Amino acid sequence: MGSIKPFSTIYSCITLLLLTASSLALAELKVFTLTLENHVFTPQEIQIPANQKVKLVIENKDDLAEEFDSFDLNRERVIFANKKASIYIGPLEPGRYEFFGEFNPHTARGYVVVKEENKDD
Amino acid sequence: MNKLLTLILLLMSFNALADGIVVDRVYHPYVTVNEREFEWRFMSSQTDDKNILNQKLGYGHAIFEKVAVEFYIIGERDQNDNFAVSGYELESRIMLTEQGQYWADWGAVIELEKANANENYEASVGLLFEKEFTKTSLTLNLFGIYEWGKTIESEWETEFRLKYRYRYMPEIQPSIELYSGEDFVGIGPGFMGVHRIEGQRQIKWEAGFITEVAHSGKNHTFRFAFEYEF
Repeated sequence: MGSIKPFSTIYSCITLLLLTASSLALAELKVFTLTLENHVFTPQEIQIPANQKVKLVIENKDDLAEEFDSFDLNRERVIFANKKASIYIGPLEPGRYEFFGEFNPHTARGYVVVKEENKDD
Repeated sequence: MNKLLTLILLLMSFNALADGIVVDRVYHPYVTVNEREFEWRFMSSQTDDKNILNQKLGYGHAIFEKVAVEFYIIGERDQNDNFAVSGYELESRIMLTEQGQYWADWGAVIELEKANANENYEASVGLLFEKEFTKTSLTLNLFGIYEWGKTIESEWETEFRLKYRYRYMPEIQPSIELYSGEDFVGIGPGFMGVHRIEGQRQIKWEAGFITEVAHSGKNHTFRFAFEYEF
């Protein structure tokens, strides 16, 4: 039976924490907003820049919770009734990424459209 | 990428022994609010001279926004080839960071297992890591385990698990899995998938076929898990 060395473990854990901490300093993220009302996302297409991490703030104006779900974006997040939730997506390659509301998939649907930013913008 | 390689090498540098079947599931560092699930896990390990069979039936529930607990009944085949309940396990998964917010996503899992017969216990703490690379995801688990009881020697153990997954389509997400503990390093193909039924109701499955590569001799483990979330 092996036994791990306590100091080795502590050292490794500290290194892990440092690796994490070094990644916490995030640059200012661009913020995009979606609204959910009457089980419909507005806008139904939201454009974001390619190859950048962005913050998507979703405001649920309905009296029922909804679950934002997207296999394309690899995200799943419950948004409580009359609350906001933030979802971090990207960096993504250009393309169309579908999302939907798990509780109302026929009406609550939309796309994140990822485009290369125009350098003149 | 250098940061990631450093992390993997660091985690693999833990080299103590884990008893029983090292191959299990690779945990993702996420908890979904209100999630409830029934789970069935199956692990069968075949060596030159024996077959170990381990199954778990569990029920889990997210008790807070970022914390889920799950209770398992564990069954194992004994030396007389009888399959019977061998123990119980309580598990708690904790989501430590919001998905995608930082360079990588972090979580933790805490488990307490009691063997049915001999008042033997096993407590473990696992650090969970996941990093997305476009359509692929790398998931790492590192477990520190402490065992004690009437018929076993008290000891610390560690286990390391790795899964590199291609998110091809919801139902089919092929992966490569790696498991290690002292005297065991196994690698092999796996896959996972999800089928949405309605609302939060969905079925998830995953399977893997892991071959031991550190020693000569036969040591294959087949594992699968089904979850019904609602």
